[in-house]
Amino acid sequence: MTQPTTFPLEVIDLKKNYGSFEAVRGLSFEVRAGEVFGLLGPNGAGKTTTISIVTTLEQATSGQVRVFGIDVAKNPLLVKRQFGVVHQEIINSGFFTVEELLQFQSGYHGLRRNGERIRYLLNKLGLYEHRDKRVKQLSGGMKRRLMIAKALVHSPRLLLLDEPTAGVDITLRENLWDFVRDLKREGIAVLLTTHYLEEAELLCDRVGIVNRGRLEAIGETSRIVHQFARKKVILDTRSSGRKEIFAPIEKPLGDILRDAGVDPMDLRDIQVEQGRLEDAFRRLLTGDKAAPAEGAKA
Amino acid sequence: MMVAFLTLLERECRRFMKVIVQTVVTPFVSSFLYLLVFGVSLGAAVELKNGVPYLSFLVPGLMMMALINNSFQNSSSSIVSSKFSGDIEDLAVVPLTDNQIIWALGLGALLRGVLVALVTLAVGEVFHDQQLGVWLPVAHPLYLLYFTLVGGLLFAFLGISVAFWSKGFEHLSAFSSFVLLPLTYLGGVFISVESLSPFWQQVSRLNPLLYLINGFRYGMLGVSDVEITQSLLVSFLGLLVFYVMARISLSRGSFQRW
Ligand SMILES: Nc1ncnc2c1ncn2[C@@H]1O[C@H](COP(=O)(O)OP(=O)(O)OP(=O)(O)O)[C@@H](O)[C@H]1O
Ligand SMILES: [Mg+2]
Repeated sequence: MTQPTTFPLEVIDLKKNYGSFEAVRGLSFEVRAGEVFGLLGPNGAGKTTTISIVTTLEQATSGQVRVFGIDVAKNPLLVKRQFGVVHQEIINSGFFTVEELLQFQSGYHGLRRNGERIRYLLNKLGLYEHRDKRVKQLSGGMKRRLMIAKALVHSPRLLLLDEPTAGVDITLRENLWDFVRDLKREGIAVLLTTHYLEEAELLCDRVGIVNRGRLEAIGETSRIVHQFARKKVILDTRSSGRKEIFAPIEKPLGDILRDAGVDPMDLRDIQVEQGRLEDAFRRLLTGDKAAPAEGAKA
Repeated sequence: MMVAFLTLLERECRRFMKVIVQTVVTPFVSSFLYLLVFGVSLGAAVELKNGVPYLSFLVPGLMMMALINNSFQNSSSSIVSSKFSGDIEDLAVVPLTDNQIIWALGLGALLRGVLVALVTLAVGEVFHDQQLGVWLPVAHPLYLLYFTLVGGLLFAFLGISVAFWSKGFEHLSAFSSFVLLPLTYLGGVFISVESLSPFWQQVSRLNPLLYLINGFRYGMLGVSDVEITQSLLVSFLGLLVFYVMARISLSRGSFQRW
């Protein structure tokens, strides 16, 4: 029963069918304490479905999900105390104000007097001056922040964020990033899905890339980039103008120039873009990861 | 454990308290109209077998109708509007058991129903005093209490089941107008089943509402078309059945938003 390490979240060979459609086809990954794990993938990859199974909204067809070692299917009530979740879809509850909603949410978690935590979250998420507004009176970004506050009233050790920055402006997004880093520092495990890959690159310690319900790659973000992305070398030569060359990240610049047959004396300018997660992602999904990571494009 | 339950109950009550004017004024107006048209105008021409004035007969019927309609309304609209706005998903991911959800919604709905029944009673008493010169008495307070609790909860539980299964607002309103409304009207709110032909009397006995309405009326007036122990039993059984139905619909029904 006692495991040497209990991960905040452990997904083991998870499968989910909707009728005959296989939305999730054997996912396995874990989220470790104090890390931000990015679950990335195109629309319909099965990210939200996976989160819904963790939160007990959906039942797995097969496989297992454990939250701090507790099986989600066997003890849903206990599991529900451990996580906070921000759903992808915005919630619009019409009757109550921001503060009331946070009080109710605390109450559901058994916390009757939670004013201090609520005030902390309201301030932290820039909602304090909007606390007496009804949800309907909030802008989209404010609603998103309210949902984040709701997910955190009971100080969960695992936070599930399903596209928390969709439709959030750039300053706010940066605030949220800082906020997520703070949570990480507190030792909270975060599962994050996002379509903004710079965001994932910036925030996530590790990422898993899913496509059509299957994991295409998983590992430390830098490793994934290293493994699958290429660096881009932009040359400006006197003889033939601009030229872009893609090359494996570890390949020395000298070798790249030599292989491209470029005389360094011919160079007017040279720019090197380091490999990006976005490139790794695209290459993984289009399936040309097997193709050599080299190539030139004029 | 208890805190979570009480919080949800509080939310349910605060929800109808936000529209308290509407909660109180609407039944005030409608019971006023019912009593004026049926109780006073038509009532003068109605002769009941057991000699009870028609107005006295009508008031408990209207109260029960108010109770069950509002209980049903409150619990079902709570769920349906949550499905619409999406916060039904919140309910599913917080540590509340199905049982806690059912009882919190049920009691909240019951309170709303009782509130409206009391408004109806107040209007009824004024009419009664006006027309007949006496207040309407309460013959058996304990029976009255019993049928209030059972009737309100039963319809709150029914509201939960229907709301969980419904796939849109139209399902709910269809249920209200094609099932609930006929049953209330044929359950003896306005008429004594004894005035019906033997055939229709038999049909009426299949209507569970008949037992609730008559039991309640017995609590108030001490007279009933149905034997009181039969009323007690049938309504308790009904409560059990609808509770089980609500449990099933929560565990099988969908917490998905629309
Ligand atoms: N309730 C459902 N019934 C049937 N199919 C569903 C249901 N929910 C999701 N799906 C399907 O399962 C697949 C995965 O959906 P999911 O919402 O998990 O994708 P996602 O990775 O979250 O995508 P996005 O980035 O667009 O949010 C999709 O093809 C979707 O059409
Ligand atoms: Mg999604």
